[in-house]
Amino acid sequence: MSKRYSIEELLNISIAREICDYENVVIGAGIPVTACVLAKGLHAKNANLITESGMIGFDPLIPLIGIADVEACRGFSYSTDMFSIFTTHTYRGFVDSCFLGVGQVDKYGNVNSTVIGDYYNFKRRLPGSGGASDFISYAKRTVLTLNRGEFVEKLDYLTSPGYLDGGNSRDDSGHFLKGSGPCALISRRGIFKFDLGSKEMYLAHNHPGISIEEIRKDIPWKLKISSDLTETEPPSDEELEFMRKFNPSVSIGLRATRRYINRKKYPTLTKKGVAFLEELRKLFFS
Amino acid sequence: MINSNNKVMSLKKAISDNVKDSDELVLGNYTLSMCVALASEVIRQKKKHLTVYSQSSHIDLEYLAGADCIDKIITNFISVIGGTGCVIRRMQRGDIEVEEYSNFQYNARLQAGMYGFSFMPVLEGAIDTDLFRKRTFMGENKFKIIKCPYTGKDILTVPAANPDVCIVHVQRADKYGNAQYWGAMGSVQAAALASKRIVVSCEEIVDHEVIQSSPHNTIIPAYRTNAVVEAVFGAHPTPVAGYYRDDSFFNNWAFGLMMSDEGIKRWLDEWVYGCEDHPAYLQKYEEYYGKHMLNSLKSKPFYSTPVNYGDPQPTWDKNGVNAILGIKYEDIEKIMEKEGIFHE
Repeated sequence: MSKRYSIEELLNISIAREICDYENVVIGAGIPVTACVLAKGLHAKNANLITESGMIGFDPLIPLIGIADVEACRGFSYSTDMFSIFTTHTYRGFVDSCFLGVGQVDKYGNVNSTVIGDYYNFKRRLPGSGGASDFISYAKRTVLTLNRGEFVEKLDYLTSPGYLDGGNSRDDSGHFLKGSGPCALISRRGIFKFDLGSKEMYLAHNHPGISIEEIRKDIPWKLKISSDLTETEPPSDEELEFMRKFNPSVSIGLRATRRYINRKKYPTLTKKGVAFLEELRKLFFS
Repeated sequence: MINSNNKVMSLKKAISDNVKDSDELVLGNYTLSMCVALASEVIRQKKKHLTVYSQSSHIDLEYLAGADCIDKIITNFISVIGGTGCVIRRMQRGDIEVEEYSNFQYNARLQAGMYGFSFMPVLEGAIDTDLFRKRTFMGENKFKIIKCPYTGKDILTVPAANPDVCIVHVQRADKYGNAQYWGAMGSVQAAALASKRIVVSCEEIVDHEVIQSSPHNTIIPAYRTNAVVEAVFGAHPTPVAGYYRDDSFFNNWAFGLMMSDEGIKRWLDEWVYGCEDHPAYLQKYEEYYGKHMLNSLKSKPFYSTPVNYGDPQPTWDKNGVNAILGIKYEDIEKIMEKEGIFHE
């Protein structure tokens, strides 16, 4: 009997499986870090991790606080700056894979991580491009992850270019590394790939127990389904154990993580401190 | 031109001498080691109408926005805290205008400014995005496309940025202003060197000899620095490589309060306006969170292996013979006489 798991865990493990041995991998903060460490620990021991903050040959031993957290590792191999990461290493075409989170995505893998609604009069703000736009343009392949985002017919804002209008439009523009672009999108319900000719997204794997109808419900266009559709391989015990030991926060989820951090007792808190935090709690969090 | 003299001064003087209303101010740090002590002093001195460059839009930018010091922001990332944030609410009210770039494009503007160029090529994939199409106050000067004179290819460019002042927190500096920073280098150096004035705060002021034995860690040379402020835990609650980890408990509260205007006001009243200077901030922290809390954040050491820069070989050996010419000091005038080169 295999271990039970959460969708969040399946998502991370599926991302990890996209990383191949000996690849140059750009990692961002959040989910992909845990996935990269998992890949390095299990099937891609020689993957070379790169951060946009200027670290190359970076092997985290604990979860990162941010994308520049050198104390998550015991040193690293090559120290440079952000300008060189994007030019010398990325624009020149040496990055094999990168991983981007998605706010909105369309059928050609174009991504919005900036705004929901009109840009100048927005309904909801997302963080913006960060490094995403330039990485997806020049990494050989990009894995998109859609956790809390949505599929849309038309993006509210195009932050990171996928296959533009589909077909050869990305390569024809002459603005990108030839042959680059999104290779997969991993959501909470399934794994999608992109047709080699039309560049349209299709369903390649449904996560265990998720029906095609459920997946179609989220998608505003008529989703194509792979003729050899298979279920996503569930996480192995080894994968789950590795991940839970490295970063239990991913496994217990964001809500529980917040709750446990707030509940953690700080024995040195003084009476004054307790009174201050109690006041804040009453005023702003009741 | 600034002389290489002692530039150590109080936080108060460093900011009042170097930050003016309506300045373009760049927050020099990237995702960690944020210049919280310096930004807090900018707030206490009630600087207004700033245009702020921020690469990672962290607690420092949220503080400055929450205190209404900012009119305009140039950034590539906006803090979203429970769907909102100090910057976001001011964007919605029209109090702050934001011009957005990608991480690289933002950095490239400062890189151009640092080198003294008027523009910098950036990666042309962005031509197909809304980063290129949607513009605010930069208007047509946000990006321009030129032709490469050699290949005829379209080159996307951004204009150079030379902010009036950079405030930046580093690990250590000497009193002259040689500032050392290590870890993930991010875009810290470009932010500082692109700027007209540079205010450095540091965890410790070290002897000049320490700097000279590790010049590879110096990112700002003394002659460019205008002020040096010693601020222990000057980036708290964010981490500084080799000095301390982030204070996740304090952070959790700070970010929670950024979700409302009243919340951030109460928080700034306590931790910015309610502290006369940085030592007062640390003292208050101790009074609230106990003596041991800050100590518990301190980094465990992992030292870099020293490298051998080589010691100068003496020009004259112990017998008074020159290492290169094989002559003695007394021989110099004799040789000059023989050569007939004395000026009569």
